[in-house]
Amino acid sequence: MIISGSVITLPQENLDTDQMYPGKYLSLITRKGLGRLLFEAFPTGRELLEKNPGASILVAGENIGCGSSREHAVWALADWGIRAIIAPSFARIFHENCYSNGVVPVVLSDRAALDACFSAKTLDIDVDNGVVRKDGREIARFELDPLRKDFILHGGFLEYMATKVDQVREWKRATAASR
Amino acid sequence: MGRTLFEKVWDAHVVEKLPGDNALLAIDRIIAIEITTPQPAAEIAERFGDRLFDTSSIVGIIDHVSPAKDSETAIQAQAMRKWAKAHDVVFYDVGNNGICHVVIPERGWVEPGITLICGDSHTCTHGAFGAFALGIGSSVQCGAMLAGAIIQKKQKVIRINVNGKLHPSATAKDLALTVIATIGFQGGTGAVLEYHGTAIRALSMEERMTLCNMAIEAGATTGMIEPDETTIEYLRGREAQPKGEAFEKKAAFWRTLCADPDAVYEKTIDIDGSQIRTVVSWGTNPGESVSIDAVVPNGDAGSLEYMDLQPGTPMRGIAIDQAFIGSCTNARISDLRAAAEIFKGRKVAVPTIVTPGSQAVKRQAEREGLHDVFQDAGALWTHSSCGPCLGMSMGVIAPGMRIISSTNRNFRNRMGTGGRVHLATPVVVAASAILGRIGTPDELPAEVPA
Repeated sequence: MIISGSVITLPQENLDTDQMYPGKYLSLITRKGLGRLLFEAFPTGRELLEKNPGASILVAGENIGCGSSREHAVWALADWGIRAIIAPSFARIFHENCYSNGVVPVVLSDRAALDACFSAKTLDIDVDNGVVRKDGREIARFELDPLRKDFILHGGFLEYMATKVDQVREWKRATAASR
Repeated sequence: MGRTLFEKVWDAHVVEKLPGDNALLAIDRIIAIEITTPQPAAEIAERFGDRLFDTSSIVGIIDHVSPAKDSETAIQAQAMRKWAKAHDVVFYDVGNNGICHVVIPERGWVEPGITLICGDSHTCTHGAFGAFALGIGSSVQCGAMLAGAIIQKKQKVIRINVNGKLHPSATAKDLALTVIATIGFQGGTGAVLEYHGTAIRALSMEERMTLCNMAIEAGATTGMIEPDETTIEYLRGREAQPKGEAFEKKAAFWRTLCADPDAVYEKTIDIDGSQIRTVVSWGTNPGESVSIDAVVPNGDAGSLEYMDLQPGTPMRGIAIDQAFIGSCTNARISDLRAAAEIFKGRKVAVPTIVTPGSQAVKRQAEREGLHDVFQDAGALWTHSSCGPCLGMSMGVIAPGMRIISSTNRNFRNRMGTGGRVHLATPVVVAASAILGRIGTPDELPAEVPA
């Protein structure tokens, strides 16, 4: 899988999920069509989206997605068209939520490589091989969680969990006596 | 090699080791809230024959907005209600509910040694009981509802020793904010914070919950505290706990749940409890906090600009427009009692809202007459809800408004678009509400005679 597309950049640290998706919209019970609410209370982000329709890669600062566990933030990003996020670090729950929705979380700690991403108009992310390319040249390598990478490439996180039902049930039965 | 408390709970729940240092981790309890449950419930209904792994492991609750405030939240609550009924899930509906991180402990649904998840980041609160309790997204919740397990990486463990005796003016909230300021807003990412030390042992369960509640504000997966007699006595007689011998059998196991003396930690941080003082936040994340006796630091320029503060301004004296006591951090009965002590015989200078953490807390407060104290002071006394903490209902603030709040997040736009939040303890919120500016009880004039 190669994700090629134009880039939007949000270099600030600690961009929390409240900024991505305001709490007041947590009342919606759908996860479809939430892209219209992305960055609604965050003017810098909203402007960026309006200026860059069609962008598919977000390059962000440290600790992106901190705070609330709301998966709505990733649903909104994915619905708007973001397919990959490059950042030096991800907050744990947001990181997991990216994987759950096929949004590729690319952790890049190398400053030079990050700067190259921040200054890029477009990037190519080779998900299978863990390579970021700019103007056809490799600028960084990254690793994904091997198990969750499979969910991105082939889908089916829930299908995978469904295959575990009998095993977990048997484990719980076997350990019940000792608990 | 010895094991940490976290490792003991973790090891006891690993069903299978998976690639990438992941484990298939058995989950004992799923707290299903109305904000994050309808989506996974629909997914399982549509794609997996509406089969849940174990309905008895799930506790449903109307939590964030109660009662419904508009059509959307009414639809959401109704979806929860129907789902809980169809699956015979224990359900705390409007009237018998509150904030899940207050209700679940007070009804006894969390206990030492279990794994617990909820689609809310403050699920770390429940680590106060020595459970491995973590916030997760709706998809992971969906997987757990389907298969009784989650996929999770084994966490690093940071040991935080708090020894000495907490200064009389310091509370668990001050300790929580001090820990975050010490290890940093991102300092706990990918880790469990395991709290040890004499100052921790001396905390009540409510105080332990306040402390663990804010582990996520250091980026940590959760906080954990070894169970002890305080934990056992708290749980004894609670609704979801067995009685008599069955309870004693569990308690005997809980007493064995502690870190080994030779357990190995990622790192250890020592905090002198006697040095903790009243803390208040100045910036836009909880790590941006200082002593109330300090001045606004020369911190992040963006945070200063958003908060409309100049470095060097004394924290005491910053004028506020509103005050809020509530949330899963600081709205339990002990918090309300402490605030009531301050409000007694005085009047608030700004709009002040007091929202109990659960309906049970509300009833207890009213038995003690605290509702009269709040209302005599001119505060609004409400039923339980998450309210304005996350900008959803019941006291959301306007752009430019400054609120002092007993909640856990001072993020930009959190309590209302453009609003400015200062985090503090219930006592400081109460004193500030009376002063109309940030301050402490010792600054207040004597009580007005009744």
